[in-house]
Amino acid sequence: MFQEELQVIQSVAPFLLLGLWETFKISIIGLVAGSLIGGLFGTLRSLRLAGVTGGIGLYIHVFRGSPFLVQLYVFYYVFPQFGIPLLEFDSFTAAVVTLSLYTGSYVTEIVNSSILALPRGQEQAARSLGMSKLESLWHVVLPQALRMTIPPMSGVYVIIIKSTAILSVVGLTELARQGEISIHRFPGDVLLIYACVALLYFVYCYPVLRFTDWAEKRLGGVKVSLD
Amino acid sequence: MEYIASIFNYRIVLNSLDAFGAGIWTTLWISAVCLVLSLILGTLLAGMRMARPGILWRPAAAYIQFIRATPLLVQIYLVYYGLPRLVGGTSILTEAVSGVIALTLHTTPYMAEIIRAGIESVDKGQREAARALALRPFQRMRLVILPQAIANVTPALLGQTAVLIKDTSLLSIIAVFELMGAGLFVMYENVAPNEGLLTTAVCYLIIYAGMLVVSTRVQSRLKGGIYRPV
Repeated sequence: MFQEELQVIQSVAPFLLLGLWETFKISIIGLVAGSLIGGLFGTLRSLRLAGVTGGIGLYIHVFRGSPFLVQLYVFYYVFPQFGIPLLEFDSFTAAVVTLSLYTGSYVTEIVNSSILALPRGQEQAARSLGMSKLESLWHVVLPQALRMTIPPMSGVYVIIIKSTAILSVVGLTELARQGEISIHRFPGDVLLIYACVALLYFVYCYPVLRFTDWAEKRLGGVKVSLD
Repeated sequence: MEYIASIFNYRIVLNSLDAFGAGIWTTLWISAVCLVLSLILGTLLAGMRMARPGILWRPAAAYIQFIRATPLLVQIYLVYYGLPRLVGGTSILTEAVSGVIALTLHTTPYMAEIIRAGIESVDKGQREAARALALRPFQRMRLVILPQAIANVTPALLGQTAVLIKDTSLLSIIAVFELMGAGLFVMYENVAPNEGLLTTAVCYLIIYAGMLVVSTRVQSRLKGGIYRPV
């Protein structure tokens, strides 16, 4: 009865799994790069330096106020036109850079809120012990703030995974793109193939989602609206 | 000046005002329709999710988790290519209708989760007081609990609305002529990626700024006029 469907699944499965692997790799790159950007900018923003706070605020608003798809198109089509060699991205670089900056805007907000959520007494106590501003940040504030970032960060991880599907529009052969290619081979089984693609995304995302819910209950953490 | 003119020719934008206007209009009406539908369905779904019998809350929970754990793009493809096959007919749905269905199916669970959090945030005493006044369960919900619940989570609902507006951009992939579609059209028509895409980005940022203003006003109103955005 399901002979035909099984055969289709059998012949597209290797490609879809390859796509899942690519999705996994890109999402990890996005997570790591985004965390680095966000950790740096978030810490800088919490220091309330003149000029820096406003600049980082602008970055957050621009990346959270426009759709990821628009950002991706701008990085892919517009930036190479400026005639600056460094900005002449190929599709992979454009995808990674956009994803990292997009992720970074979320992480910046999370890190900043976590630091600000820490009681002021912690920093004041560290300063009164004779630590410099940097020392108190590094030894006292950041280690405690880091713990609070875990629940919202795993929420960001889910957002990254789902955003990588959009990268298929600039030709990255990740999971969604592999699905499209498979449909060119089996045009009659659109529903089946996209159901498989959805299932694979689910398999990747669901454990992270459950971890997020668990971490929110267990660790509490700061409430950062992820929109 | 010459350098700027060589990368951004504003005349192309002026010539394509019609396209951008049509795009913005489509983005706004699709967002509005999806917002209304997803709020209504989201309230129902939240009710289902909070119900006692497993036959009600289990399917609701499964649906919510499925939507939360898969990308919107794949959901759009499933609705656009899959739905006509599932009901047997060839494509009777236009792209815009498929888009509205997909976006509504996508946004409903998020709204449901927010509304559920709102209902749970209402103090237990309110429920007991409503009971003491002999209101029936449906009346308790409609007259006492839901109004307070919605007021508590209005900021989150507005945030989700902003996400919804941004998400409409993905409908350009199934050829709905909304703002992103208009930008791509201008880009291909004039071979002008800068003019088409940067203008699109600016339009989205203006819509976002509008949402920020609304959100700030609403939060300040809810907090008795003392709210200051961070």
